Amino acid sequence: MLVDIQEALLKGKKEEVEKLVDQALSSGLPTARVLNGGLIVGMDRLGVLFKNGEVFIPEVLVAARAMNAGMARLEPLLVKEGIQPRGNVVIGTVRGDLHDIGKNLVAMMLKGAGYRIIDLGIDVSAEKFVAAARESKADVVALSALLTTTMIEMRGIVEALRSNGLKIPVIIGGAPVTRGYADEIKAEGYAPDAASAVEEVGRLLKG
Amino acid sequence: MSCSMTPRELVKRSLELRSPARVPRQLWLLPWAIDHHPSEVAEIQARFPDDIVTSPPFYKEAPRRVGEEYAPGILVDEWGCIFENRQRGIMGEVKEPLVRDWREWEKVRVPRERLSVDVKQVDDFCRTTDRFVLAKTGARPFEQLQFLRKPENLFLDLIDQPAELFRLLERIHSFYLEELNLWAETDVDALVFSDDWGSQRSLLVSPSLWRRMFKPLYQAYIDIGHRHGKYVFMHSDGCIADILPDLVEMGLDALNSQLFCMDIEELGRSYAGKLTFWGEIDRQHLLPFGTPEEIAEAVKKVHDCLYRGGGVIAQCEFGAGAKPENVLAVFEAWEKIFPG
Repeated sequence: MLVDIQEALLKGKKEEVEKLVDQALSSGLPTARVLNGGLIVGMDRLGVLFKNGEVFIPEVLVAARAMNAGMARLEPLLVKEGIQPRGNVVIGTVRGDLHDIGKNLVAMMLKGAGYRIIDLGIDVSAEKFVAAARESKADVVALSALLTTTMIEMRGIVEALRSNGLKIPVIIGGAPVTRGYADEIKAEGYAPDAASAVEEVGRLLKG
Repeated sequence: MSCSMTPRELVKRSLELRSPARVPRQLWLLPWAIDHHPSEVAEIQARFPDDIVTSPPFYKEAPRRVGEEYAPGILVDEWGCIFENRQRGIMGEVKEPLVRDWREWEKVRVPRERLSVDVKQVDDFCRTTDRFVLAKTGARPFEQLQFLRKPENLFLDLIDQPAELFRLLERIHSFYLEELNLWAETDVDALVFSDDWGSQRSLLVSPSLWRRMFKPLYQAYIDIGHRHGKYVFMHSDGCIADILPDLVEMGLDALNSQLFCMDIEELGRSYAGKLTFWGEIDRQHLLPFGTPEEIAEAVKKVHDCLYRGGGVIAQCEFGAGAKPENVLAVFEAWEKIFPG
């Protein structure tokens, strides 16, 4: 049944995912098992396919929509049973930049991997990142920028977090961003695509 | 080697691989560059004038627009799409779709004012310039759908495939056919269409979806141009290597793409001499962060990989963040390869 959930998710079949999640729960499978063995594994598989160029953005978005539908069924139970997310990730597009498809894809993939996402949206100042990171007890802060003129904001955000005593790892991404730039501004993580972002966040949390 | 050919002849020879005296040039200038580096822009333009220009549209009836395209604030374009912008000199983003719900699709009005081109004035413009003239055509079906629906909604639509999506696309496409046919009757040298199809590493959608839904539209645009004896140019950003064989097969004459998102050596091996590479030099890393020496190496690489007695246009974009000395270095490097 868990494999069926994964398959339905990969095909983006929202209603089927909802139905299968309900069936799995009714059959007595623990909530955490439905989440980890069904939805999260499904999103993991999607991430691999995306990274390998076997699926593209539309397929990822419909799968994420199906995943969200399944999660909506599980969330009340997860809260009731006190099951914690894998970590809290504050994410946003930096100040001056209104582009958010990449950031949204990363947020969806991370949510699908079991993280709690605090999405600050677009055009987000360093102050807002600091406040949200502190308030949500963030485990990772994720920054996105599409423009060469806005990616320079990332440095200020890393510095603002540090100067406010927040030693939370920062991951950065976006079209002009490179590993070299991440090293230069002392961001601990860098991801060239949404699937890699999930792996990188996992690595940062282990480290 | 002295260059006595006209710019128009240079471009035509390049497109036809007939050993032009030098590589033709074109600088794409975003308002950001003029705002931030006016004197450097003037110097580059004086030393390296464009060989390619776009004809003004000479509309008899101005398309309805509210706001400025490259200014902070809101722009409502001629389709009614609402763009939000926070930075002077660059283009905004659609944040609220015009078509929120597919029941609203019929309210999309094509900007018929764009068909009010004064053909005589365009022809006069073409006659009085010795440069290669591009039509001011605006066909971009995929991006137009994104502007109307907002990108994320559109990506979902492409999988859900509601009937209204196809009706809307047909309406947009029919308008583009009219516009391209109109321009094809003028004396311009080439028609142009565009759509950004790549992300940094791959196509945004699957090649099969692209072939099924969009390739036939572009084929129609190319065919209009060729039926009228025009060249056809396309712009598409991102890594679009997967559709390059299609573009060659379709008979596209020139392609502006982000070469540096792709494997340039491989592009050369597979496609050099089969279509003209209309630029560019990496505007995401090299132009804003590189050195003039690195720019010269990049230009040499483009030349060595892609030039086959033509087949390359020295185009680059002076956009947000680019260093003026690097933009200048692009044209100086080409001049070094083709002195005279």
